[in-house]
Amino acid sequence: MRRLIAISVALVFCLGAAFAAPKVDISLAYPVAVDAPITAMLKAWTQDYMASHPDVKVTLIFSGGYPDVKTAVETAIQGGAKAPTLAVMLATDVYDLVNAKYVDSLDDLAARAPGGEAFVKDFLPAYMGNSRYKGKLWSLPFQRSAVVLYYNADLLRSKGLKPPRDWEELGKDAEALTVDGGATRWGIEIPTENPYWTFQPLAIGAGKNVYTDDVTVNFDAPEVVDAVQFYNDLSQKYKGTPPGVQSSWGTSTQNFAAGKTAMIIHTTGSLAGILKTARFKVGVMAVPGRAPGSLASVTGGGNLYLTAGHSQAEREAAFAFAQYLLAPSRVAEFSRATGYIPNRKAALASPAFKAWLKEVPQAADAVKALDYAGPELATQDLDAVKTIFNNYLQAAFNGSMTPQAAMDAAQKESDKALADYR
Amino acid sequence: MRRPRILPYLLVAPTLLFVAAFTLLPLGEVLVGSLFKQKLNIPRFRHPVFAGFGNFVDLFHDPEFLQVLANTGIYVAVLIPLLLVAALGLAFLLEEKRAGVGFFRLAMFHPTVLPMVSAATIWMFFLTPGYGLWNQALRFFGYAGPQNWIGNPSLALFGLILVAFWKNVGFLMLFFLAGLQNLDRSVVEAARLDGAGGLKLVAKVILPLIRRQTVFVTTIAFIGAFQTVDHVFVLTQGGPSGRSSLLLYYLWHMRFERMDVGGSDAVTVIIILALLAFTVTNFLVSEQHEK
Repeated sequence: MRRLIAISVALVFCLGAAFAAPKVDISLAYPVAVDAPITAMLKAWTQDYMASHPDVKVTLIFSGGYPDVKTAVETAIQGGAKAPTLAVMLATDVYDLVNAKYVDSLDDLAARAPGGEAFVKDFLPAYMGNSRYKGKLWSLPFQRSAVVLYYNADLLRSKGLKPPRDWEELGKDAEALTVDGGATRWGIEIPTENPYWTFQPLAIGAGKNVYTDDVTVNFDAPEVVDAVQFYNDLSQKYKGTPPGVQSSWGTSTQNFAAGKTAMIIHTTGSLAGILKTARFKVGVMAVPGRAPGSLASVTGGGNLYLTAGHSQAEREAAFAFAQYLLAPSRVAEFSRATGYIPNRKAALASPAFKAWLKEVPQAADAVKALDYAGPELATQDLDAVKTIFNNYLQAAFNGSMTPQAAMDAAQKESDKALADYR
Repeated sequence: MRRPRILPYLLVAPTLLFVAAFTLLPLGEVLVGSLFKQKLNIPRFRHPVFAGFGNFVDLFHDPEFLQVLANTGIYVAVLIPLLLVAALGLAFLLEEKRAGVGFFRLAMFHPTVLPMVSAATIWMFFLTPGYGLWNQALRFFGYAGPQNWIGNPSLALFGLILVAFWKNVGFLMLFFLAGLQNLDRSVVEAARLDGAGGLKLVAKVILPLIRRQTVFVTTIAFIGAFQTVDHVFVLTQGGPSGRSSLLLYYLWHMRFERMDVGGSDAVTVIIILALLAFTVTNFLVSEQHEK
């Protein structure tokens, strides 16, 4: 009898093992080149998720930057292999990724997942601009940022200056804050080695974004040309910023925190790092526009994409994991650690984020900048258009072309590059 | 009747298979691919369409590509002679057994072990306008700066050359050093006894004796100049205004950012042809001298 019971128990175990649901393997590729302890946070969340979801195995793949993740997805799919199930790539890459069939739409998953539709509706509209294409949902805002003006509030106060309200005040403040022609301190630094993004708030502040839709750019619009002229005025007329192209994306935040620069135009993604190192009161605001009291900003950052070529079980598991990662409490925690602006309304309203706002009021100012933000340049064949625009912007900044001639040439070449998509 | 000898074929088979799989096959694919228009982010060109030499024609009508070609030409034409002369000079200096020579050999060689990304990051801070070490050093010699090296369209490419030079000169020096140390001393001594000295000794005796090392060093320096791209990513991203974009950087953009498979295959063919032409010419010229 005992032997019979033992055999029965063993059989039950064997059958159980045989019929147990197989584990679903999914992976997330993440660009790790962000100045924040994100890897540790993602690892901890993933461990917790797998502990509560034993039927799912999540592998984290950390790559250098956005282009590395995109390259990994492209090479995997082109080579006939499976790409990482989820990937954080630039929100603006949506047209290229969809046209190349590298990503999969999320509509059916959002419709079927518990709370899926409410989850999608909860994202801030300013950040959903790049998520939809051809009437479908392709990505979810993940780590989103905006371009803002950081200023040394203590320094401005000591000089009797107020935060600038328009271009003229920005120029005059920059001029007044510059010491020894910049050798000791610059009034303002605007990184322009990859200039389109930090330039966009100037164009939006003049009244026109640099593009209208995926096949229409406004590079030769008078407002955009005026914005180029204003960038040049900051160095030529006000002597408040280094002349020409400023290769200072990596160094300007350090210069600002060290007091070598009074103001910088940079991403909200640098907020946490700046607050950690600056020994003065840091002010954050949207970039002043041309008209008195007008403000401007531009969104940026990465979205979470579901790559193409996965089974329905993998797609569903990936969407569920995305919902978990983007739960309001985690979004708030992520923002607190990085300075990235929360991408969900529920996260903005969460007690964790409200507590942080009390502690760090600059975060609220960064969120406010979103009210004035236009979308980041996103067109078909984005790299070609961005390269053309960047090249001519830099030619105008360096004085090898007039702003008007440079923007006319940029418009002409971009129109040619976009002709195949119209 | 002798049985055909199979063993030699068996011995070379793995190498042949390896070369066929990882060199000849991809090369063939690239050659064929370069004749088709295939751009993955344009729906109607997602599948290849035969275009003959259309990709090459497009490239040579594209001002961006012509700029990249010019940049690469200047980069190679300045960097390679600089590297060869400096590596040879350093090898002469560090060949003799003097006190502290080991330290200097190590000092010259150490940039070689750094990844290019680290080297470029170090130089990014060296080249920072204002307080960057490079400008500080120039100021010591009376320069009034601050010069924005990587933001200036006339200087950015030379910023890249500077980094590549610093990174590679120690490595190339090693080959010359090995060549000099293996020279037949009696030939050099005989030349000295015959009255040759200084530059004449170097030009007429030593350089011909280390010709094979020179061919090798020139070839790897040339290939290396085409292959390094990391410093472009870190320092200039090809800017300003595309004035520091090099062929490999452009190729990467074509293939992975613009998803232009045909165009990037055509660029690859051009790179292979340039490398092949240089390597074969270099080898033939050297062999000519040998005869």
